[in-house]
Amino acid sequence: MSESTSANTPKPSSSVKLVLLGEAAVGKSSLVLRFVNNDFQENKEPTIGAAFLTQKCSLPTRTIKFEIWDTAGQERFASLAPMYYRNAQAALVVYDVTKPSSLTKAKHWVAELQRQASPGIVIALVGNKLDLTNDGNETAGESAATDEGATPAGEGEGADGENQADEEEEEQEAAPGDARKVSTQEAGTYAEEEGLLFFETSAKTGVNVVDVFTAIANAIPESSLKSGRGPGAGTGQTTLGGARPAEDSRVNLGERTAATAKEGCAC
Amino acid sequence: MMQWTSIVQKAQSFIDPANFTLPSLSTSDRNPSKASLFRQQFRLPDSQNPLQEITADLILPVPHTAEQSRPRPGNRYTGRLHLSERFICFSTQPTSFLPGATHAHSTHWAGPTNGAGPAGNGFTIPLSAIRRVERLNSVSHVFSLALTTWNGALGKQPAGVFVPQRFTLQLDGSRQACERFCDGLKKGLREGMKEIENLRVVVNDCYSEFLVTAVKSKDQSGENAESRPPPDAGLGMLFRYPGDARKLRDRSKMRLWGEYFRENGRNATLIRQPTFHKLIRVGLPNRLRGEVWEISSGSLYLRLRSPRLYTDTLSKFSGQESLAIDEIEKDLNRSLPEYAGFQSEEGIGRLRRVLTAYSWTNAEIGYCQAMNIVVAALLIYMSEAQAFFLLSVLCDRLLPGYYSTTMYGTLLDQKVFESLVERTMPVLWDHLNKTDVQLSVVSLPWFLSLYINSMPLVFAFRVLDVFFLEGPKVLFQVGLAILRVNGEELLEVQDDGSFISVLKSYFSRLDESAHPRSENPKLRAITRFQELMVVAFKEFAGITHATVIEERDKHKDAVLDNIESFAKRTSIRNLGPDSKKLSMDDLGVIYDRFYEVLYDRLQRERVREEELRRLEKRRAERTSTLGPPADHEVGRVGLGPSPSHMDYEGFREFLAATAKWALGDSPGPSRSPSGASSGAAGWRGFGRSPSPGRPAPADHEFMRRLYRKWATDPDEGLSLQNVVHGLARLKGPRDIMNNIQYFFTLYDDRGNGTVDREGILRMSEALLFLSRRGFDGTITPTQTLDEFGHPDRDAQPSEPLSTDERFLGSVSAFIRRCFEYADPSTPGGSPGASPSIPADETADKLASVRIGDDDDGSGDLLDVGDEATPVHHRKASESANPALDPNNPLHITLPTFRMVILADELLEQFFDAFFPRSFRLSVDSHPAVTAASTLSRLRRGASGGIVPPGRGLRGVLDNIVTDGIRMAAEVKKRMDEAQRDMERNAVARGDDDEDEDDEDESAPLTTPSASTPTTVGGMSNWGAGAYEADRDLLEGAEVLSVREKDAASLLDESPEGGLGNGSRESKQSPSSDENRRPGSSSPHNSHATDKDEHVVSKVEFDS
Repeated sequence: MSESTSANTPKPSSSVKLVLLGEAAVGKSSLVLRFVNNDFQENKEPTIGAAFLTQKCSLPTRTIKFEIWDTAGQERFASLAPMYYRNAQAALVVYDVTKPSSLTKAKHWVAELQRQASPGIVIALVGNKLDLTNDGNETAGESAATDEGATPAGEGEGADGENQADEEEEEQEAAPGDARKVSTQEAGTYAEEEGLLFFETSAKTGVNVVDVFTAIANAIPESSLKSGRGPGAGTGQTTLGGARPAEDSRVNLGERTAATAKEGCAC
Repeated sequence: MMQWTSIVQKAQSFIDPANFTLPSLSTSDRNPSKASLFRQQFRLPDSQNPLQEITADLILPVPHTAEQSRPRPGNRYTGRLHLSERFICFSTQPTSFLPGATHAHSTHWAGPTNGAGPAGNGFTIPLSAIRRVERLNSVSHVFSLALTTWNGALGKQPAGVFVPQRFTLQLDGSRQACERFCDGLKKGLREGMKEIENLRVVVNDCYSEFLVTAVKSKDQSGENAESRPPPDAGLGMLFRYPGDARKLRDRSKMRLWGEYFRENGRNATLIRQPTFHKLIRVGLPNRLRGEVWEISSGSLYLRLRSPRLYTDTLSKFSGQESLAIDEIEKDLNRSLPEYAGFQSEEGIGRLRRVLTAYSWTNAEIGYCQAMNIVVAALLIYMSEAQAFFLLSVLCDRLLPGYYSTTMYGTLLDQKVFESLVERTMPVLWDHLNKTDVQLSVVSLPWFLSLYINSMPLVFAFRVLDVFFLEGPKVLFQVGLAILRVNGEELLEVQDDGSFISVLKSYFSRLDESAHPRSENPKLRAITRFQELMVVAFKEFAGITHATVIEERDKHKDAVLDNIESFAKRTSIRNLGPDSKKLSMDDLGVIYDRFYEVLYDRLQRERVREEELRRLEKRRAERTSTLGPPADHEVGRVGLGPSPSHMDYEGFREFLAATAKWALGDSPGPSRSPSGASSGAAGWRGFGRSPSPGRPAPADHEFMRRLYRKWATDPDEGLSLQNVVHGLARLKGPRDIMNNIQYFFTLYDDRGNGTVDREGILRMSEALLFLSRRGFDGTITPTQTLDEFGHPDRDAQPSEPLSTDERFLGSVSAFIRRCFEYADPSTPGGSPGASPSIPADETADKLASVRIGDDDDGSGDLLDVGDEATPVHHRKASESANPALDPNNPLHITLPTFRMVILADELLEQFFDAFFPRSFRLSVDSHPAVTAASTLSRLRRGASGGIVPPGRGLRGVLDNIVTDGIRMAAEVKKRMDEAQRDMERNAVARGDDDEDEDDEDESAPLTTPSASTPTTVGGMSNWGAGAYEADRDLLEGAEVLSVREKDAASLLDESPEGGLGNGSRESKQSPSSDENRRPGSSSPHNSHATDKDEHVVSKVEFDS
């Protein structure tokens, strides 16, 4: 499914404002870059203020155009955040599965959003950098589980994922090379309590990335959708931060779909 | 115009010859101090102050380089000559920073400067760079000075003709004023000579020096000019400078600058003429860019002052770690990664060192993302040390608050920018509002990273060139111009996305022709960037420094409020699970009060330091009369990193604002008597004024215990979390057992679940301390019923007593019972073991004291309601309980303590209601306010411990209260005496409970009113201050006596407002009635109070 197909069959299109929040260097920008460009950069410029990008997501009944505000993660930028989550309909709160403090920060963000953001905001909790854990070591393959606790099932190493309630140290010893410090269960339980969507992803390998956005698109109540703001708005990716001409490349949708043929989301 | 102002200034200097000696301390308004304006204008380091100023003409010689070819007259400028400790400055901006000058005069440069920057034409020359000053003989009695500088003479002396830089200053003032200026100059020059080595070091790092001398030596000695390596002019020398040098016409710019330097001096001795500004506007040549930034921003002068600060800082902190360093490390590989220099270890190393060194020198800022990008950009054109100092000028002066931990400066300037857009482009502004596009999300990165991240580098650097010369207004002018140029397209935009893409595509085509289809080739040659600059500086010439300052002032409070409410929200949310026991309102109050106290103290501390420094300075330097400015802002969470811990002193203030009992009984000794009655008006001023009218907080052992209990580490102080945790234990769900236990553990010094004799006494002191300002209706005794129930029982029938009196009785009963039920501590000695003789005597005395109490009617009478007491009491006085024997160490355990408390109705209520409720959180009326007014009222009353005759009830009660205290003190005294005896007798006995206050044992007894803050002293102290407090307490009693009880308690509660205090109250009253005396009924109760009222007034009448 490419843009052309969705253009041929005009589906109702609506735009959704989505904001990314989370501690510095958990991979917020990388997630977006993966979603929008299907690309990964090892040394991404830190986001100054916020970067703005858009990407379409095609659902069976409609097309969602995400207007993504990717915010800076450094602690002191937190006071700028209200500017960005204003009117947001969806939020991605990202933490790093190898860094427990980032989950704490994520919880703060969830609390802040629940109290201050627009009511009915759809929040997804995302544990990124799955590639650094044993679960993520197998290359980006099947990632069917879109519901809560999206750990890839099966395979010998995957079994570790079940026992992740154990002590971190034990885990470390049990599986050398596994940098995981936040168990799926811990974050999952929290997400369930708070009624959040929950995923573990890897922006590097692409595991689960598109699924997050698809799940959000599905979770947005139909009623809260505004109709699209003019088709001319374009799918272009526009980063506030890097406006260097060299980087100014448009999203190549064709290539992207070829690379990761995903169900549901035709972006 | 200019002449007129100079006449005015001249006139002023005539009129006010005392100008130079008058201290100016008027920093009370929001205006920055004159000294800081002065520094801003001339870009001087913070150590500089305006000492002297005079109107003068600067006469420049005919440029020696141009003498033969095109003879032209030397230029002459009229302006103002200023002298600071280490600098001589001249500017054509007619500014004045004399103490008598108006604000408008001092900010003259803040108006349109026509591209000349705040310092105008003229110079800023360090005195160390002046080689010689001659007074010229002149016919016309004009006071003329010829200055010769070290320009070009500090390096290797070039062979051949060397023409030193020399220019003339014609002072235009009274002879006296001129002489004074010269004296100041002479003094400064002497001092300046010491810094000549610094100057030599710094100057030799300047590329201009190399440029001029290299060209010279090339002229003289042919081609072997490249003997000396060029100074470091940034990474660009290694990795090429961005942009096409030919297209930028770098070579011809270089030639023009070379010429300018030869004619007007260079680096430290540069004289600014109009060409200087023009050369900057067309863009700086690569190798000189860094140096000119340094000069125009003034960072050169910082480097001059401490040339080795950068390397010293690095070596001083070498190997140390910090949060900032971690954050820096994360960003090193992602700072201008498209520039080759930052893909290399060399470039990344430089970036790391500069950011790290800065984070050490300014720990308040540390590191903020975006600094990496700015510094990376600077490093392309400057050495590490240069970038280090320029970064510091950026953070401190050019971008105030941008990179602070709250980034308030960034947010503030976004608000300013938005309001400027609204003002200059109302149509576009309306459109943005209608389409819900938030401008600041687009423009914020422009300001935060100085367009470096938004425009192609070559153009961003052109903006920077002007920015360093003219200041922050440039960022606004360029921003407005961007919107203006793209206005039409932006008006069609419907959402954030397209808004951003319009601008993005504009930025990517800045090098294209602005008028590609124009017939006129000249017009066609104008690039979009040039067009942007013209719009920015011509069309928006009206946006001046003054505009920006004014707008910042206007929005500052709102921005800070926003940040603070965000910080408060976040902070409160992160206080841990304990905080859930308190309501959001309560947490909010705790948060506010916590920071209020911290900032208030901080502010007072600063004022004190300021004053000290000023005094010192005045002693040291008589000429320097202007104190250092207090323009460094503090006092708001929103402004940046805040203090996070409260020491004991702060905690006292916090408690004083929270609980009535924590207010001192007398105003602080340092306070003038009038200060106390001036009320607490300044209290809410949140750190803006030291609020001298506030009554001093009390200092009681109990408070210290509370502090130690709450703090994780008493040396570090209390964090907000500690305070919330502590209050949550007390104010959480109402639980009397918990409160009793809490109180007990406060006194369980050894942590083994026991409290010894000393502890018991301290507990009773604390009970008296806590209760001395009354109970606000939280305690309602019911024993009156009993009295009426058994009228025959009492010898002195129904001299009804107020709650406060009854409570005194309860406390005395508390002590008695504690001793009675205490367990002896010595495991071997049986409880009944015969005491030694002196101890026996003591016990007798103790008993007699109590009997004495009985006689004067305060002690036992208070206990009439309690069935158990009289029995015990009699028992106690008849046979000496071995536990009362001071020779037998004793202790009580929690169950004992609990029993003793629960055995007394008032104490039970005390712990059930009063104690937790005495910590007031979300209350409308501030306890401090009421207490302050009470205090001032008290001060007007009679003083002295003796009750004046005819004072009625008050006097009676005073006596009772004092007796209560005397009783407690007496008990203690006996104990102590016995203790000493025992010590004398028993040698081998290792003591357990006397380690703290050996020296206090006797002293307070002889001088009961000594104010030693130790326990016993504290006790007597409280005795001394008690009469005041008691009267306060009695005022409450009088109120009670006039009104019906329930109404009275309601009235007391009403100011507490929110938070369901009322409901709690209503719950409390009936329950306390019921569970104490199941048989009694409420109407009866109120009836009793009615009776009470009558009798009380009768007592008053009688006496």
